[in-house]
Amino acid sequence: MAELTYSQIDNTVIETLQPPPRKYWIVVGLLGIGILIGASCWIYQIFTGIGVGGQNHPVAWGTYLINFVFWVGIAHSGTLISAILHLFRAGWRNPIARAAETMTVFAVLIAGLFPFIHLGRVWMVYYMLPFPNQRTLWPNFMSPLMFDVVAISTYLTVSSLFWYTGMLPDLAAVRDRSMGMRKKIFTIISLGWTGHHEQWRHYTRGYLFFAALATPLVISVHSVVSWDFALGVIPGWHTTIFAPYFVAGAIHSGLAMVLTLMIPLRMIFNYEKIITIDVLENVAKTIIFTGLIVGFAYATEFFIAWYSHNIVEIESFRWRATGTYSLPFMIMVVCNTIVPLLFFIKRIRRTIPWLFGISILVNIGMWYERFVIIIGSVAHDFIPHAWGTYSPSGIEFGIMLGAFCLFFFLFLLFVKHLPSVSMTEMKESIAKERQSHDH
Amino acid sequence: MTTENTISHKYVMGLFSDEDKAVSTIHELQQSAWKIHKVHTPIPSHKVFDALKLKSSRVGYFTLTGAILGFFLGLALAIFTALRWELIVQGKPIVSLIPFFIVGFEFTILFSVFGNVIGLLTQAKLPAFKWADLYDPRCSGSHFGIVASCEPEHAGALSAFFKEKGAEIRTFD
Repeated sequence: MAELTYSQIDNTVIETLQPPPRKYWIVVGLLGIGILIGASCWIYQIFTGIGVGGQNHPVAWGTYLINFVFWVGIAHSGTLISAILHLFRAGWRNPIARAAETMTVFAVLIAGLFPFIHLGRVWMVYYMLPFPNQRTLWPNFMSPLMFDVVAISTYLTVSSLFWYTGMLPDLAAVRDRSMGMRKKIFTIISLGWTGHHEQWRHYTRGYLFFAALATPLVISVHSVVSWDFALGVIPGWHTTIFAPYFVAGAIHSGLAMVLTLMIPLRMIFNYEKIITIDVLENVAKTIIFTGLIVGFAYATEFFIAWYSHNIVEIESFRWRATGTYSLPFMIMVVCNTIVPLLFFIKRIRRTIPWLFGISILVNIGMWYERFVIIIGSVAHDFIPHAWGTYSPSGIEFGIMLGAFCLFFFLFLLFVKHLPSVSMTEMKESIAKERQSHDH
Repeated sequence: MTTENTISHKYVMGLFSDEDKAVSTIHELQQSAWKIHKVHTPIPSHKVFDALKLKSSRVGYFTLTGAILGFFLGLALAIFTALRWELIVQGKPIVSLIPFFIVGFEFTILFSVFGNVIGLLTQAKLPAFKWADLYDPRCSGSHFGIVASCEPEHAGALSAFFKEKGAEIRTFD
């Protein structure tokens, strides 16, 4: 990376902001259609009633909750890369930090939509706000669902502010190399940043605090999400390992999504010299680590069920592995724990098609993990005559399609309108590399 | 390092493409009669910070204030709302500190980030409306811009000094 100059970095990144070709708008348009399909399904559900979804007794939490957990999970690796690896001074995270942070913001945004969708009567959302209802009854802050409201809204606010603050010097760099309307817009959003020593003095300290605060936050958020389940006395849910298990799974899925997004990004925008194969390899190595944690958690769950001698717990896990949803269970185990082991082979973790393919499989596996946990547990709990099954309805598939389209739509708009690689952090990396070469 | 704002002064900016040259020029300027007004850098340069002997930022006090406020606000909100209607849920005490601590924790992070942002904006004086004064757009790209002030009659000498150090020159009134 040291052979790059500051100007080359600026030019490469600013080149990505040039007016896009027609095919870009065609893809954006197709994603827009997907969003409209999702929105139409949601509107239909609002007017018809929540019953148009496949959720029914005993499975009252279906794809809406699966997608909620999935998107919160995707968000987590953005914060891991931008905040935790920043604190550890892991220089390899610099080329992908901006895109990963952006992924976090959009993923939390989409995750936050699902509780609204799941509410059915979405206008009753104010029941979740700290605001008394007609009988002066306030929200119950002992409920994990209220923890969730507080945690997710905090996470969205903090990750958005972190993302924007980190972008300030780059917004100024774009402002200084733009003309016309773009210059006017970037002049406003760069807040008059000039990079003089007083600004940097406060900025570096403020950014460090941001990272230090985001780190416990990210761990707390997915712990809180896990408690939505763990605090319910349902076999398969009511377990103390859920918080670390969910956090590791979240980072696992998020890292896979980072690869899924970064590989096309570096190809389309000629970022090969910036997002090097070494960077992708480091992500792959981290996926091995998180995959092993996730695999250990799967095994621990079965061990706990066996060791407890609790027949309900044992039956729940027997059914999880061999019952109606054994195929999703197998997808989960294979994609999340076995497939990532291929990254132990150096040639595979340095080959783009392998990296991309495995990242997609991990994404699929992690979606199914949430399916297995959420559906599998309530479908087969204490009372045999209350057991049941669940399959998502067309409306749910439509909303899920809309959510995925919205994520990629926002991300596509981002990469063509804002600097998708942190120019400042890349320059810092180069300066550090040169310094270490000199010594 | 001294800050000069007198209108009768002339400002000369030396633009360096090399960080080390900029740093050695800062050292020499500190020994001279010219005053360093400000230094623009494309990256947070610790060499420049050290040369300017910058004190550590006070942003942390804002962050800490936000954190303390947030923790008690979160805890107070959870306790207050529970006490408004003393409804026993699942046999737990009305004021259950363990779950309420989680609300307090999230509010701690939220408000410390608010404090951090307020601290950053107020200390770094952002948004800056007169940002274009004494600024060169190259400073956000690859150049280190040292703005020094002098009496108008010494502007030529200051420019010559920067040139001698290998800088490109910009002069401001």
